[in-house]
Amino acid sequence: MPLNIDWQQILLHLLNFVILFAGLWLLLYKPVRNFMQKRNEEYENRDSEAERKQKEASELRAQYEQKLADADAEIEAKRADVRKELDDYAARRKNAAQEEADGILARARENAAREKEKSVRDARREISELAAEATEKLALRESASEAFDQFLDAAEAQEKESKAQEKTGGNE
Amino acid sequence: MSKKQKIIFWSVVPAIIVLLIVGIILTNGLYEREASIQETMQDAILHEGDRISLFGLPVNPGLISAYLVTGAILLFAAIVRIFVIPKFKRIPGKFQLVLEQAVGFFDGMARSNSPHRNNTLGAYIFAAGVYIFFGTLFELVGIPWQTANGTSVTLPAPLSDINGAIALGCLSYAFILVGGIRANKGRGLLGTLKEFSLPISMSFRLFGALLSGMLVTELVYYYLALSFVLPVVVGVLFTLLHALVQAYVLAMLTALIYGEVTEPHVKKQRVRTRKKKTKSPTEVKI
Repeated sequence: MPLNIDWQQILLHLLNFVILFAGLWLLLYKPVRNFMQKRNEEYENRDSEAERKQKEASELRAQYEQKLADADAEIEAKRADVRKELDDYAARRKNAAQEEADGILARARENAAREKEKSVRDARREISELAAEATEKLALRESASEAFDQFLDAAEAQEKESKAQEKTGGNE
Repeated sequence: MSKKQKIIFWSVVPAIIVLLIVGIILTNGLYEREASIQETMQDAILHEGDRISLFGLPVNPGLISAYLVTGAILLFAAIVRIFVIPKFKRIPGKFQLVLEQAVGFFDGMARSNSPHRNNTLGAYIFAAGVYIFFGTLFELVGIPWQTANGTSVTLPAPLSDINGAIALGCLSYAFILVGGIRANKGRGLLGTLKEFSLPISMSFRLFGALLSGMLVTELVYYYLALSFVLPVVVGVLFTLLHALVQAYVLAMLTALIYGEVTEPHVKKQRVRTRKKKTKSPTEVKI
């Protein structure tokens, strides 16, 4: 063969290289590559784990923020309810007080009117009694002028008394 | 450097140099060459006069180099596998970093060039790269070996033997072929056969590069006058450089073409275009 090419030696070289290839693959290449791949996977897992945790944390944060916002809104709503209830209660109390006051006033007026009517009736009855008594006295013992004076004095005294009673009834 | 140290330095170093030169001149007679430069270079290529007996089989010195390199690499790999890899740490030390860089480099090359199938490819180009690199550096060691004739020969790089280069080139092509067939059946086979010049180009590129390096080194070492300073540049730097370049080139080419032939075939969808019917002027009614 030209250039000293020898098939047998080519085969011997091939055998040599195949042995080297198999040996290097098993002894060096595969273990080192497996180690590197395992380490890469470990770092990738760590990365993905960290990313997942970060995502979870951000979700939790969003949830908490949402809850806080909800709580604020709830507090505000409850405060408004309470304020409304308070206002209603105050209004009810005011109305009740007003109604009570009106009732008291009406009853007082009614009482005063009744008292006035009673006192007027009493005064009239007393005047008529006094008039009857005076007439009786005049007719029996004194002169007409004296009797008339006494009658007038008695009537005046009776009127004052009835006025005073009326004033006290109105104040009540 | 103190004055005393300077005196010692300037007296010891020239003395050593003078002694070395005297030694070289005195021992020159021991290295009288039987062959001329022409014969030496012819032997370097054709190995007609320096065959070595391997279990009774006459072989080129390159084959012995190949077995020695393989043995050394496998021994190193076994030691690393037993003593170093079980102690690998998550944060790598210097040696672990070198190993990881080497494996990661070829693995990355396989992944980037052949994204669909790269498990075996990474291991193959790793082995080929390591073999070419350390095989080329092997010529720097210069191990002497006895030939079948009884003369001494310095073991060359394994791939400076054309049989070694052809073996690696053809094996790379066969590897690509098998990968193509496994991935794409007939289409992969045709895709690989299309690159029929690949085994020849790969083999002869390796052979040419390694042989030229060896020839230049042979030339330089042949003459005594060129044996000072120059071998440092020629022997070490050139060897190192073309060891790196050849390892990279073969690994890259193999990965690239393997990626091409194993790429899954995607059927192109034919877009049917409707031909617009245009009325001819005669059909247009006025």
